[in-house]
Amino acid sequence: MDDDEAIARSLEGDLSAYEVLVARYSALAHRTAALLGARDEAEDVVQEAFVKAFRHLGSFRRGAAFRPWLLRIVANETHNLTRARGRRSDLTVRLSATADAKAPDDPAGAAVATDRRARLLEAVRALPERERSAVVCRYFLQLSEAETAQVLGWPVGTVKSRTHRGLARLREEAGDGLG
Amino acid sequence: MGSDERFDDLEAELRALGSSLDVPVPPPERVASSVRARLEKPVRRWRLVAAAVAALVAVTAATPQGRDAVVAILRQAGIELRLGGETPPPVRTQAPLPGERDVPLDEVAAQVDFPVRTPAALGEPARVTVADGGRVVSMFWRDGVRLDQFGGRLDPFFFKKVGPPFPETAEVDGVTGFWVSGSHPLGYLTREGGGEIPLRQAGPTLIWQRGDVGHRLEGARSMARAVELARSLR
Repeated sequence: MDDDEAIARSLEGDLSAYEVLVARYSALAHRTAALLGARDEAEDVVQEAFVKAFRHLGSFRRGAAFRPWLLRIVANETHNLTRARGRRSDLTVRLSATADAKAPDDPAGAAVATDRRARLLEAVRALPERERSAVVCRYFLQLSEAETAQVLGWPVGTVKSRTHRGLARLREEAGDGLG
Repeated sequence: MGSDERFDDLEAELRALGSSLDVPVPPPERVASSVRARLEKPVRRWRLVAAAVAALVAVTAATPQGRDAVVAILRQAGIELRLGGETPPPVRTQAPLPGERDVPLDEVAAQVDFPVRTPAALGEPARVTVADGGRVVSMFWRDGVRLDQFGGRLDPFFFKKVGPPFPETAEVDGVTGFWVSGSHPLGYLTREGGGEIPLRQAGPTLIWQRGDVGHRLEGARSMARAVELARSLR
């Protein structure tokens, strides 16, 4: 069942069809919420977003892409949460401990790579919020510029300029080894 | 395109960093069933519906015919909604309304004593019928949409057996109606009172009242579309 069919059936009240959509986009929705600052409340944010998406499915333009439409709702819910908690939408994720397991014969090289990644992550964390959101969507979530524009509710030109400013700052902050 | 070339390496490095981030993700099936459970919540939904229309409907504990564990009845727009705790078994047969016959659209007005309208958003119906001595007018379109209009206020004409999820309220031109989202058994109540004729398994339906005329619009693919069609009645 492709997205279109699952959406058509969901609109007829078929909750099993909607479960297929939820399962399909659950991981990406959690990554989006977590990376945009939902912290340990990502699960609540994602459930709320899926419930809202179902109730507003009537306003989804048929034939359009479901992924950015859904992630827009996830981003909004995350934004509402961080605002309600009165905090900055910090990026609190960690580097995965297993990330360098694939270079066991070069422990020194692996350590350097890990160190560089940690520095780069620190630099992303330190970006001004909007530049960070653009960088997170474009590179960590690997969304296109158009999708990023839809998810964050910005014009495409704004996505381009904030991404560009973020990249320039990252290169400056994270030092020579980068880019 | 997008960022310029001098950022190519940095962009690649950021993508690699993204995939090495440790983001806890719960099992997708568990998320799906939690979301589903939240969307079902039958009891609260029913209370919401009942509260919203308490002034319009009669709620009783059981029907006189109540073999089907009916928990409540909503009467609106000439339709009796029998709400039960379980999804009622589907009706597998199809029956016409009593005395139902085809009538050309321009002769309908002369055969019934209530104002009949057509939805501008759908254009002229492919077929029109009048049933039960002018009590009900039905219009059919090729894409499966069907509109029934029936005059009078007091006695219900149709009954619907509905299990969870219970009907949602929907506003049509400032009047509260109901959207029944799932397929459900539909029957007809005869004029003499008491007689019930099972008709068929009906699709998702919007029901509402305007003045003295009750309406049921069946076959729209969503509540939003049904309300849009209902608003276009001229």
